[in-house]
Amino acid sequence: MSDAVKINVYHLDFSYQGHRILKNVTTQFEENTLTAIVGPSGVGKSTFLTTINRLWETVPLADMKGNVEIKFNGCFHDVYDQSFSLPRLRRSVGMVFQTPNPLPMSIYKNVAFPLKLTGEKDKKLVARNVEKALKRAYLWQEVKDRLTDDANLLSGGQQQRLCIARALVLEPEILLLDEPTSSLDSRAAMVIEELLLTLRPNCTLIVVSHYLDQVSRIADRVIELSDGRFLERPLGNPSQLRVSGLHRT
Amino acid sequence: MIRIYEKLIEKLLLFSAAVSASVTILIFGFLVILGLPIIKGGHFFHLLTEPWSPYDGMYGIYPMVIGTLSIAFLGVLFGFPLSLGCASLISVLGPKPVRRFLKKVVQLMTGIPTVIYGFVGIFLLVPFIRELFQEGSGMCVLSASLMLAVLVSPTMILFFIDSFDQVPKSYLDAVDSIGGSRIQKFLYVILPCAWKGVLTGLILGLGRALGDTLIVLMIAGNTVQVPGSVMDSARSLTSQIALVMAADYESPEFKSIFTCGIVLYLFTTIVVIGVRTLAMTRRRSRP
Repeated sequence: MSDAVKINVYHLDFSYQGHRILKNVTTQFEENTLTAIVGPSGVGKSTFLTTINRLWETVPLADMKGNVEIKFNGCFHDVYDQSFSLPRLRRSVGMVFQTPNPLPMSIYKNVAFPLKLTGEKDKKLVARNVEKALKRAYLWQEVKDRLTDDANLLSGGQQQRLCIARALVLEPEILLLDEPTSSLDSRAAMVIEELLLTLRPNCTLIVVSHYLDQVSRIADRVIELSDGRFLERPLGNPSQLRVSGLHRT
Repeated sequence: MIRIYEKLIEKLLLFSAAVSASVTILIFGFLVILGLPIIKGGHFFHLLTEPWSPYDGMYGIYPMVIGTLSIAFLGVLFGFPLSLGCASLISVLGPKPVRRFLKKVVQLMTGIPTVIYGFVGIFLLVPFIRELFQEGSGMCVLSASLMLAVLVSPTMILFFIDSFDQVPKSYLDAVDSIGGSRIQKFLYVILPCAWKGVLTGLILGLGRALGDTLIVLMIAGNTVQVPGSVMDSARSLTSQIALVMAADYESPEFKSIFTCGIVLYLFTTIVVIGVRTLAMTRRRSRP
């Protein structure tokens, strides 16, 4: 096993309402790389992401078999082991959803909220971390004078960057992004792409995407999910990435 | 043909709505007409503030107004934390099998006739209160309000669950994805988002408590007095109406029950207007 491996997935089977979505998926993700998962709608790309942070467990009538191991502090941990803390997992594996989902509170409180959940009471530390996360998410300059405004007043692109900042404030080692630019215009999407590239040196990124150009611009590795199985795709320009269900931006 | 059919259905629905609305207005009109001699004679406000003493020619309903308000408010006060806790357990905090079981029990409770609660109150709660406090017969404001709390709780619980379930899933996903526990999710996201629904449920519960007749009639003791403590017996407006109607006709006592009806109607109207106003602001502010 390579030292650079961050996530190991073994024999992953996932079914929803008795319908098998992922079939015996075995794969690895290397540390500080950006992997794009592509494929047509409804094949289970987003579902696969939720098997890494165990978010699928909130979905009724879903079932999973197999193992997911993640390397924390140099050791692999089975994240489905009873002794492994779920809050610890989700604080180390951030997630950004397809549609921006800021909470109904101010911009500042949205980013500070994950720290509140960890029990952090030092207001100065919280303020420092909020500023740092907003800067990493390329949002600080746009919101620094309106931190108390309702987060829902931000534009779609700003809301998505706010959600990225909310995930980044906990300094996750892995960031899962489920079509993070699909609800944004091309300019806002480009900003998010640039942001992802700046995060890559310190974070393992797994991005579900539908866009050929985007995938060829940002991904270190491309996996196609087809009929419940993973297929490695060669990197290259958009015309070389012949994957069904993908669009050109 | 289809067009005529649609028009016909539309008219029928409109007619049904008009009938429902007019029945409510007619009832109020009926109450006002029957209470007219009292209202005309300028006795209405007298009756609201006077004590009930028919032998002295005093037919005031003040003790019953206080009895109704104290039993109803206490009932909701006891029932609210119980309902909020139960609803949070069913919606968010409990394990799935417990949630399903509890919800079924609550739904079943809404269908139990009030008289059954009355029986439970008389044969279990009243002796228990009597033994516990060693004071009086046990038929008192405390017993009635405790039993009323049990009666109104299912209504409140189901309403609270409905409000909690309306919190957008995207908010819950956001909290889950950053490692929030169930209780954190409930306290910091669900409750702040659903507070208007909770308040509406509370007001509905109060409306139900104000209008209940049987439990108070069976358990509160029915003494016409302004209760000085929760251990005192009391009579509600609804009990007053039921008791006087059962024994009298065309006497001044009988005429005074229309004042009770008008007061109850006004209480209920205030509660309903409160619910409607809240529901409207809730709809406007829903994300």
